[in-house]
Amino acid sequence: MGIINNLKEFLLEQSKKDYTPYLILSVPLLFLVIFLVWPLGMSIGKAFVLRGNELIFDNFTFANFQRFFTSSMYQRSLRNSFVISFSVVFFTLLIGVPMGYFVARVEMPFKKLILSLGILPIITPAFVGAFSWVILLGKQGVVRYMANKVLGLIGLSLPPIYGLFGIIFTMTLTYLPFVFLLSHGAFKSANPLLEESAMIMGASQSRILRTITMPLILPSLGAASILVFIRAIGNFGIPAVLGGQQYVLPTLIYFRVNGFWDLNGASAIAILSVIIVVIALTIQKKVVSAREYETISTASSECKLHRHPFIKTIAIIYCSLVLLISLAPQITIITMSFFRQWIGFLPTGFTLENYKIIPQIASKAIKNSLFLATSASLLTALIGTLVAYITERRRPKGAILIDFTVMTPFVLPGIVVSVALLSAFSSGPINISGTFLILMISFIVRRTPYVFRSVAASLTQLDEALEESSTISGASWYYTFRKVTFPLILPGIIAGSILTFATLLQELSTSILLYSAKTQTLPIQIYNAVADGDFGVASSLSVLLLVTVFIAVYLMNLFVGDSASSGLKLG
Amino acid sequence: MCPNIIYKDVVKKFEGKETVEALKGVSFKIQQGELFCLLGPSGCGKTTLLRISAGLETLTSGQIFYGEKDITSIPPFRRNIGMVFQSFALYPHMNVFENVAYGLRIRKKPENVIKKKVTEIMELVGLPDVLRRNPSPTALSGGQQQRIAIARALVYDPKILLLDEPLASLDAKLRRYMRAEIRRIQKTTNITTIYVTHDQEEAMAIGDRLAIMNSGLVEQIGSSDQIYHYPDSMFVANFIGKMNFFPGTIQEVQGNNCKIKLDRNQKILDLFYKMNQKRKQEIRKGKKIVLGSRPEKLTVSTDPEGGLLPGQIRIIQNLGKVVRYEITPLWDSKSKLIEVDMEEKLSGAKEGDTVYINFDRKNTLLFSGKKAI
Repeated sequence: MGIINNLKEFLLEQSKKDYTPYLILSVPLLFLVIFLVWPLGMSIGKAFVLRGNELIFDNFTFANFQRFFTSSMYQRSLRNSFVISFSVVFFTLLIGVPMGYFVARVEMPFKKLILSLGILPIITPAFVGAFSWVILLGKQGVVRYMANKVLGLIGLSLPPIYGLFGIIFTMTLTYLPFVFLLSHGAFKSANPLLEESAMIMGASQSRILRTITMPLILPSLGAASILVFIRAIGNFGIPAVLGGQQYVLPTLIYFRVNGFWDLNGASAIAILSVIIVVIALTIQKKVVSAREYETISTASSECKLHRHPFIKTIAIIYCSLVLLISLAPQITIITMSFFRQWIGFLPTGFTLENYKIIPQIASKAIKNSLFLATSASLLTALIGTLVAYITERRRPKGAILIDFTVMTPFVLPGIVVSVALLSAFSSGPINISGTFLILMISFIVRRTPYVFRSVAASLTQLDEALEESSTISGASWYYTFRKVTFPLILPGIIAGSILTFATLLQELSTSILLYSAKTQTLPIQIYNAVADGDFGVASSLSVLLLVTVFIAVYLMNLFVGDSASSGLKLG
Repeated sequence: MCPNIIYKDVVKKFEGKETVEALKGVSFKIQQGELFCLLGPSGCGKTTLLRISAGLETLTSGQIFYGEKDITSIPPFRRNIGMVFQSFALYPHMNVFENVAYGLRIRKKPENVIKKKVTEIMELVGLPDVLRRNPSPTALSGGQQQRIAIARALVYDPKILLLDEPLASLDAKLRRYMRAEIRRIQKTTNITTIYVTHDQEEAMAIGDRLAIMNSGLVEQIGSSDQIYHYPDSMFVANFIGKMNFFPGTIQEVQGNNCKIKLDRNQKILDLFYKMNQKRKQEIRKGKKIVLGSRPEKLTVSTDPEGGLLPGQIRIIQNLGKVVRYEITPLWDSKSKLIEVDMEEKLSGAKEGDTVYINFDRKNTLLFSGKKAI
């Protein structure tokens, strides 16, 4: 009797418990395990066996890694990746920090315009920037043509943009906005009292800049540097367009997979590039974390602006010059899209043909891109939101692990994600290579961090008492989530999703390994047009892509103000 | 010897969409070695005046002198002053020693002098032990950060010390302790000091003299005693401590005695005012005036015979040393505060009871047109 009663009570107790959250919240975690953790594990495993061999312990070998000791091509790629990534970080800091300082601290006109134009290079697909520089500085590039006419007088000539120099140049311009926007934010939000107190103690302007201002914005610069580094080392489009004989790790991976279908070798290269990223992250953490301070001022006062006409003039000239150069790609492709060719000084053969032909040649790619970006964004929004909710509100024991897992793709080069997915799902029981599904999964995995960060930020700002008071007044978990939590974090979700949508539209480094004739996307078609030398069509398609992305980012700014860069930050 | 500070017609306008006149012509003098408080509600211009004194803001017109020297257009870093901010503004990227040594390093002092000076000043502010561990200032408590901020501002022997609400971010108990400390340190160094605060109790406790500011003008300057007992205006009377106001009309003046009829219930009070030249002119029969009484200068009784102004007790608060009654007079909607010593509290009175307010014949102030007479 007693036992039965106890059992009854236990069951009654259990049935009263609200299991919905566990059911709903386990879905995204399951997704992450199947489509991120498992593929990464498979990829790591495959790196230690040779192509064609089964993944068992007897086949264990370091042969895939040995190429880095034996093959000069591998060594050069590795060196190139190193040189490029560090140079790009160096030059973006060198150019971006003064610009951030000028816009934040010098009184000058059109600040808002400079800030909005300044963000354009990041929302322009990187490879579009690369090929527009080919138009300007390539073998027959217009700027090179003019420069050589002048330089020719003194017996010099400008080399074409191909090779390491071109890659570093283009990447620097592409990733400059990260440094510019983050340092601008840091200079602007720095506590003005710290500088004022130094001034009162008798410090000169340059001393204040050296001993107070710069040390305090160092963490922001560290964050910007790592952001640039990760992107530079993972970028596929720019070295693919401009590299020529110079390979870097992502193009080497592409070469390995596309040329030999050697996922094992590709995995080994992928592991190496991830190790480099991890080392860079560790260095950044070491340098910066010891210097992380609460510097945001509570006072409403802002830092005094420089009003000296000399400084003003320098600032305006500097900012316009940098903007002009970094916006040259956009201007170039828009111009190019209306002409047949651009060899020599002016483009020739004005035409609308490049646009008229779009429906005929690219309607499938456009449809594919829109379909993939839209559906993947919606799913990413769902998964990212739920995972953010779990780690922020439920705080299960492994919360840090979940946080770490979901953020992993943020630091992984895109091509590494596709190698991992191919390792797990291109053979054996589940073969989805060449389908929309694998592209969509790669998109979701790669962009979940965006929504996750964005929503987690809204959740931390949301007072938990609001949800608690709803629960206390008798609402179930689901009701509270629907009526209280969700509406309040909706701006964060929308911001993260639109950012996801905008970046997925231009995704190349993941899809380049995963697409098939059926699933070709717009960036891939542009890339192929560039490879074929068909710059007119490549330009008109790029303009179409640019306009769409621009509208999406503009919509996001409507929702969340002008802090578009916040979603791009690494926590 | 530290110089005095003289303000001459200081005007500050903030140009913008709407031009705000933060200071509308301020002139006064701060004595050598004085601890001078600027006190007023937020937006009164006290912080602007302090920042102008530091050189962090330029003035629209007027002059400022440190002693004989016109420093109006001298930039802050050449004024040789020290300043403590409300948020302390300690550098989070330097340890305590480097924070304090900052001003000495700017002055290119040799290392042994820096060491000696920093040690001395840390002893003065009562934190000699902190240098042994020498942590980042963010690891210290609010009170310790406060002392370090003061040490940093004083270590290079500035001529003038400026304090901008230095205690506002500390808790109440620490605040009371630190204000005694600040006064001790100031008196030891004898540096001319301006102290900005919005807390009247703090200003009265710490300042040798205070200036009460209101909407860009100085309302009154004096010692805390003078200002408390003889406020120049109704604003000052109500800003420094509490004051109950009763409108009335002068009925009759006889020597130093003055009969005043309360407007509300037509009762007549017989009050004492020592006549002087000004009062003789101002106090005339039939003049509309406002009576002002501090809570401790009013008395209250349950006996209708002894009381003048009947009212209902709304709230009784036991504050320890005194009992505070909040009373709504029957003809007046604005309630009055009355404080009586614990020993004299009304036995048996409860909230809701009717009681009678009485005036102190010699200590009731007289205002006309918001100014004291």
